[in-house]
Amino acid sequence: MPEQKVITLICERAADLDSVCTAQGEVKEIDGLHVVKLPCSGMIQPLMIEAAMKSGAAGVIVTGCQIGDCYYREGNRMIRERLLGQRPPGLKKTVDRRRVLALWLSRPQKDRFLAEAKEFVSFVRKLPVEPAAAAKPAAK
Amino acid sequence: MYTSIPKGLTDLALTIEKGTNAVISNRYNPFYYHGALPQFYLWVLFLSGLLLFAYYIPTIDNAYFSANLVNAWTSVDYITDKLPMGAVIRGIHRYAGDAMVITIVLHALRVWVTDRYRQYRWIQWVTGIMLLLMVLFVGQTGYYLVWDERSLVLTRMTVSAFDALPVIGPGLKAWFLNGTAITNLTLSNFLFIHIGLSFTLLFGLWMHYVRMTRPVISPPPAINYMLMAVLMLFVFAFPITSGKMADINSAPTSFDIDWFFLFPYWLMAHVDLVTYWVLMIVATILLVLVPLPNLYKAANPIEAAEVVLTKCVGCSLCSFDCPYQAIEMVPAPAGSRFKLLATVKPYRCSACGVCVGACAFDAIDLPNLLDTDVTAQIRALAEAKPSA
Repeated sequence: MPEQKVITLICERAADLDSVCTAQGEVKEIDGLHVVKLPCSGMIQPLMIEAAMKSGAAGVIVTGCQIGDCYYREGNRMIRERLLGQRPPGLKKTVDRRRVLALWLSRPQKDRFLAEAKEFVSFVRKLPVEPAAAAKPAAK
Repeated sequence: MYTSIPKGLTDLALTIEKGTNAVISNRYNPFYYHGALPQFYLWVLFLSGLLLFAYYIPTIDNAYFSANLVNAWTSVDYITDKLPMGAVIRGIHRYAGDAMVITIVLHALRVWVTDRYRQYRWIQWVTGIMLLLMVLFVGQTGYYLVWDERSLVLTRMTVSAFDALPVIGPGLKAWFLNGTAITNLTLSNFLFIHIGLSFTLLFGLWMHYVRMTRPVISPPPAINYMLMAVLMLFVFAFPITSGKMADINSAPTSFDIDWFFLFPYWLMAHVDLVTYWVLMIVATILLVLVPLPNLYKAANPIEAAEVVLTKCVGCSLCSFDCPYQAIEMVPAPAGSRFKLLATVKPYRCSACGVCVGACAFDAIDLPNLLDTDVTAQIRALAEAKPSA
């Protein structure tokens, strides 16, 4: 299923993707990679990731600023801890951790995002639809 | 997005920090502890100052103890020459003060460049300016205490500057000299100002940290060692020396300037006193007004988060996670199934949405970006047919 969608939940102050996106928020270079901007990565609810998976997305990329540098002080650290299960509310165990990628990139790091995202998108699309056991958390 | 700041500056700062991360990882990036660096130097100053205080004698001439002259200058001389490691402690105290000013200015610059000083953060900015002024004045009194010729010039310049002020001038002068002329009492007053005001810094710091959940006030030990190593490098490479002992009957006119603390005196020497005060006061007011709400509110309206009263279960997760202590848990109204209810203090809220991420019950929302809308958008994107 090469056309399965991948959703990027991104902090508007993290990697600046405006120049590589269409007006609808689809990354031009990578087919089926959509970007949803939020004021801070700390706003991402684990429920949002679950909703994306349930609606048939192949994977979710969570992107915040570099850990340690949050405009709102602690947002990226918090979503990171939530993804790692160290802070409530966490991600449900049923969510395949291999399909979640967390990237911590500051605004000038657009190219790094594209490189990582390209690799991730082709990786999750090759994954079997019914995952075996949940793998280790993918958060970096 | 980052607004009101030249974007190039923000990008430059972020690029430098990215490069630093690549070298020493983000756990030890001093840019991420920029506010804690002056705080660390403050502890260094307190400790080294305590050791100096044990041997310091705040007088200009003291004939009570011995036939030899014992005064502030000779006691500092004793600390430097006779006491084991005395010169090192003195050097640490001097250079830690300089380092504190440098780190405070870097802290303020980074906060400004990364646009983190206005609206809900105005208290931090204003108290920060006040703290900087206090640190500068405390540092200047430290230069009076040594009681060499520079101290004498600085004292006289300060007195003439106070004299030029209308109404409060004479009072300030009498307070500063602890009398009408430079006497033994003057030096004990300087010591009192130096120590008393530096402890008042702690009160200022409390105001600086108020509204901050989990303020970052201590860098990791590895950074502390690095800061200390830099300090020791200067202590041993450039030992501190006093000038000639001050003689009240002489009129020294020039001195070496420490640009971190004594730049106001450079200004004072080059313009007349009225211009000096106007410049200093206007500069302070301008600095304080940088985060003036009206300048930025229109361009960056903040719509505070709102609690959905029927959904909140009072679990307190949002109030734990709020980085600005904007959410208070209050007793739930009578008839509620729960004990507590979250309430938002709108003037503290930054509309960052961390509380939305913390809520598993969909009970708190940013009015202009509902999480239900975001979730719906995600669902629509995930379910959409391929565009090709």
